[in-house]
Amino acid sequence: MKCTRCARTANVEIRRSRQAYCAACYPDWFRAQVQERIDHDRMLRHDDKVLVAVSGGKDSLALWHALVRLGYQADGMYLRLGIGGYSQRSQEKAEAFARSEGLRLHQVDLKAEYGYTVPDLLETRSGKPCSACGAVKRYQFNRVASDLGYSVVATGHNLDDEAATLFGNVVHWQTDYLGRQGPVLESTHPKLVRKVKPLYRLGERETAAYALVQGIDYILEECPMAVGAKSLIYKEMLNALEESQPGAKHQFLVGFLKKGRASVQVGSFDQATQLKECVRCGQPTTSLVCTHCKMADRGREKAAARAAAVDGSRD
Amino acid sequence: MGLMQVTVRPSQERREVAAATVEALLTQLGLHRDAHLVLRGNEILTADVRLKTDDVLDIIPVISGGSRP
Repeated sequence: MKCTRCARTANVEIRRSRQAYCAACYPDWFRAQVQERIDHDRMLRHDDKVLVAVSGGKDSLALWHALVRLGYQADGMYLRLGIGGYSQRSQEKAEAFARSEGLRLHQVDLKAEYGYTVPDLLETRSGKPCSACGAVKRYQFNRVASDLGYSVVATGHNLDDEAATLFGNVVHWQTDYLGRQGPVLESTHPKLVRKVKPLYRLGERETAAYALVQGIDYILEECPMAVGAKSLIYKEMLNALEESQPGAKHQFLVGFLKKGRASVQVGSFDQATQLKECVRCGQPTTSLVCTHCKMADRGREKAAARAAAVDGSRD
Repeated sequence: MGLMQVTVRPSQERREVAAATVEALLTQLGLHRDAHLVLRGNEILTADVRLKTDDVLDIIPVISGGSRP
């Protein structure tokens, strides 16, 4: 297979568009795709102060790398979730990347600053670990961006993530979530920072290839708490479809955004008139006390019960 | 066709496989093309690349689940 651009031996094939690129041409193609989406969806301006949500994985580090190369002012934020050795190793990857690129990385430690970790949210009424973890991340990235004056939060959601989320929302007919799904979530409250997903049309394989070609050292291992996650099941199904129908994931997502989303009612969280500030933390919420504060209470209770059980077993 | 050494990361599981091309290799292992990258050294290989018996290959899964940051 030859490179679409220079005709040398190709390294990365883009099956959905019948293109392929060599390692030398691929980064330019990837960043051009990111820029094209940023421009088309009016995601960012060059005077925006961008906070990239960084996990130490391929998508967030590839995004941060590409945004900086494209000339955007982008700092990173890593959230210490307290998921044992996995969190430690992913933190090291995020820190090493920031150091090697000379970039600023903010960090928030859930245990030190809030008294709980993501594993403490298991077996509470907070729901499944991934949905609880997602809620914590959305809260913290928004809070830090708002407090520090960032105008946009950028996340590494890719085509596979977005197609899997869409599939899950269709399976369960989550119309509120369907109405909110898109590459840009506008701010509807002074403390709700705009959110963008510049990689939403690039496949997971394409972001991994970008990270490898650019020498970005990312965490390869999967979060141990994501084992059996529905998102992985949906991705497996969509990749089985993609095997015989290249471009199916792209058509599914883009078709929805162009034709389907407008007919779905927008989710209640985006209706600015209903948003108020949490009486405890001041962050935007639809209720008196926000979801995060309630969840953190239960996490702290669980952490305290666990600590008491350990102390008891020593007596 | 001889056997080639394949390491599936990050588990470092080692397999010995006989396959003529990258596409055949992934098919034989039951892996989706869109969910994996195949490397020979630091070089990413496209699906049509012909494999040799003494090739040492790495397979990197690219799918991650759970919540995104």
